[in-house]
Amino acid sequence: MAKRYKKLKTAAELQRLMEGHYRQARFLRLGRPLAWVASGAPVELLRAMGVLPVYPENYGALCGARREAVHLCQTAEAQGYSADLCSYARSSLGSMFDHKGAPMHGLPKPDLLVCCNNICGTVVQWFEAVAQHYGTPLFILDTPFIYDHYEQQMQTYVQEQLEDLIRFVEKATGRRLDWKRLEEVVKLSNQTVSLWGEIRALCKARPSPLNAPDLFVNMAPIVVLRGTPGAVRFYQHLKAEVEERVKDGVGAIPQERHRLLWDNIAIWHHLYRFYNYFVNYDACFVVDTYTGGWAHQVPVGGLLEGLASAYATIFLNQSLSYRTELVVDLISEYDVGGFVMHNNRSCKPYSLGQYAIRRAATERTGVPGLIIESDMCDSRAFATEAVRTRIQAFMETLAAG
Amino acid sequence: MSTPCVWGIDIGSLTVKAVLLDAGGKLLARGVEPAGYGGQQAAEALVRSLLDERGLRPADVVYTVVTGYGRVRYDGADEELSEISCHARGAFHLHPAVRTVIDIGGQDSKAIRLNSAGRVVDFAMNDKCAAGTGRFLEVMAAALDVSVEEFGHLALESERPVSISSTCTVFAESEAISHIAHGATRQDVASGLHQAIASRLFGLASRVGLQPEIVLTGGVALNVGVVAALAKACGQDVTVPADPQTVGALGAALYAAHKGRR
Repeated sequence: MAKRYKKLKTAAELQRLMEGHYRQARFLRLGRPLAWVASGAPVELLRAMGVLPVYPENYGALCGARREAVHLCQTAEAQGYSADLCSYARSSLGSMFDHKGAPMHGLPKPDLLVCCNNICGTVVQWFEAVAQHYGTPLFILDTPFIYDHYEQQMQTYVQEQLEDLIRFVEKATGRRLDWKRLEEVVKLSNQTVSLWGEIRALCKARPSPLNAPDLFVNMAPIVVLRGTPGAVRFYQHLKAEVEERVKDGVGAIPQERHRLLWDNIAIWHHLYRFYNYFVNYDACFVVDTYTGGWAHQVPVGGLLEGLASAYATIFLNQSLSYRTELVVDLISEYDVGGFVMHNNRSCKPYSLGQYAIRRAATERTGVPGLIIESDMCDSRAFATEAVRTRIQAFMETLAAG
Repeated sequence: MSTPCVWGIDIGSLTVKAVLLDAGGKLLARGVEPAGYGGQQAAEALVRSLLDERGLRPADVVYTVVTGYGRVRYDGADEELSEISCHARGAFHLHPAVRTVIDIGGQDSKAIRLNSAGRVVDFAMNDKCAAGTGRFLEVMAAALDVSVEEFGHLALESERPVSISSTCTVFAESEAISHIAHGATRQDVASGLHQAIASRLFGLASRVGLQPEIVLTGGVALNVGVVAALAKACGQDVTVPADPQTVGALGAALYAAHKGRR
C-alpha cells in the first residue's frame, strides 16, 4: 500500500502566495525596479527602498521540483559552463540563455543584482555572468568566512559595505532609503523568522507534525517574501495548523517509528518519492539543517549593525566545528535516532566536510549517520537503485539497534 | 518425510547464489550460477535444481529471504534484506571474531563495521563508480587478454609492478594499455592493477575503521591477487571464508531460519 502524506490545508494559500510573487515580479511592478538577489543577501534594505526582489536560487529549486532543470543545465553546459557547476546556477543561466524553453519563461530581466558570498563563492561568478549578459549593475557583499569567532573587524567591514549597498541602490534606481520603512521591514522579517522557528520547534512533538518535504516546500516564503505582511500572515496560518496537528496527535506520516535529521539542500527532483523511501520504514525527518538557515533573527539595536551581524553569521559561513555543534544540538533537541546527509554535487560548501561532521556527530551522540550522493536539481546525478540500497541498509541497521 | 527448510538467495549483478538451511540452521545445499539477464530466472532454476538434488519439495520451504540487486523482483520471497545486513550476518556466523567485512561484488563494494555482538554499526559503499568492483577486474582481465581466474595469479608473479595512478575503470584501462604498449609484462601490469583496486578498497574500508578481524566476502575474494594486495594495503591479515561468494546468501538464510522458527 502506498503511504501518503497528509496534505496541509495551507498548501493552496502557499501556492497563491508564490504565484503572486512571480506574477508581481513580471506584471505588477508598478514602476518598482527588479533585483535578482542571492538567498543570503540582506533583502530588507532593498524592500525598504521599494525594490522588488526575485531569487534565482528559488527559481532553480522550482525548475528542479518541476523536473525541468536538466534541459536548462544542458543549455548552460552547451554555452561552456561546467557540468560540475551548481545546478541552481546552471538552471538559472540556462533559463537566461533560452527563456522560451524555461518555466515561466525564466525570471524577468533585472534592473540590478545583489549577491552575498555568505552562502558560497559560486554566486559571485554566477551573478557576474548575469551582469555581463544583461549589462546590469551588480553589488557583491563580501562576508569573511568565520573560522573561529565573529570579530569586531568583520562586523565593521560588513556594516560599511551595507552603507555602500544603500548608495549603490540609490545610484542604480534613484530611490532613497526610508529608515522608518527599513525598521518596519526588519520587524516584519523578524516576525516571519520567529514564526518559522516556532513551526520548526513544534516538530519536537511525537509524532512530528511535519516531515522534511513539508519543511522544504513551506520554506519558500521565508526566503523570497521575508519582510512582507503576506509572509507573516501565511506563517501564522501554517503555525495554527501545525499546532492543531500537535494538539490532536496527528503526525506527518502514518506511523512514526524513527525520527531522523536531514542535512543539506532537498533533492527537489525526487522530493516526495525520495522521502517516501523512508516513510516506508516509518521514518520521519523531524528536523533539518537547511531550513533552519532562515530562522535567523536580525538582532535589536542599530539596523545596519543588526543586518550585518545576521547576514555575516549564517551557518554556511561558519566553521565545520560550528556545523558539527549544530548537528549534535539538533540531534538531542529533536530526539532523533539517525541522520542522513545529502552529499550534494552542486553545493560544495555545504557538502565538503560532511564525512568529518558525520564521524564527529556519531562519536559524540552515538547516533548513526548515512551519506547519500545526489544533486538538488540535476537528476542525472541520482541513481535510484544505489540510493535505495543504502537507505534500506541504513534503516535495517536502525531497526536492529 | 518432509524436512522444513529455509532459503537465502542473493541475486547479484554477475551471479546468483542460493543457500538452503534446515530449520536449525544446518547447511543442506548451496550453489552459484551466472545471473544472466536480470537474475530472477537463474535464481528460480538454481532453487529448483538444489531442491531436486536433495529430494525436497517447494512446500518444505517455510521461509525465503532474498538479497542483492535482483531482490526487488524475486517472486518467491517472504522478505528482502539489504546486502549489508546479509553479508554481516553471514560473515559473523562463519567468523565470530570479525569486526570489518569487505564485500566486493560485481558492481558494488562495501565495507561494514560490526560490534562484538555481530550488529552492523557502520557501513560505507563505493561511490557511483565501478573502481574497486568485480566489474573493474573483468574489464582489466579482458584488457590483458587473460581469464579472470588467471588474472590474480599473474599479479603474484610480478617482479616490478607498474604504477596505475587512476582508479577510474575507463582511465585505468587506457593506462594499462599504454604500459603494455611500452613493453611492460602482463604480470607487472596485472600487479599494478591489483594494487590500484586494493588502494581504492583500503580507502573505502578506512571510512568505517579497519578493525581486525577483516573478512573478505564476494566473488572477488576468490582472486588471490586482490587478497594479497589488500592485506598489504591494510597492513594486516585478511580472512577469506571457505566459500566467499555465498556469504551473503548464507546471511539471508540465517535471517530466514530465525524467522522460520518463530
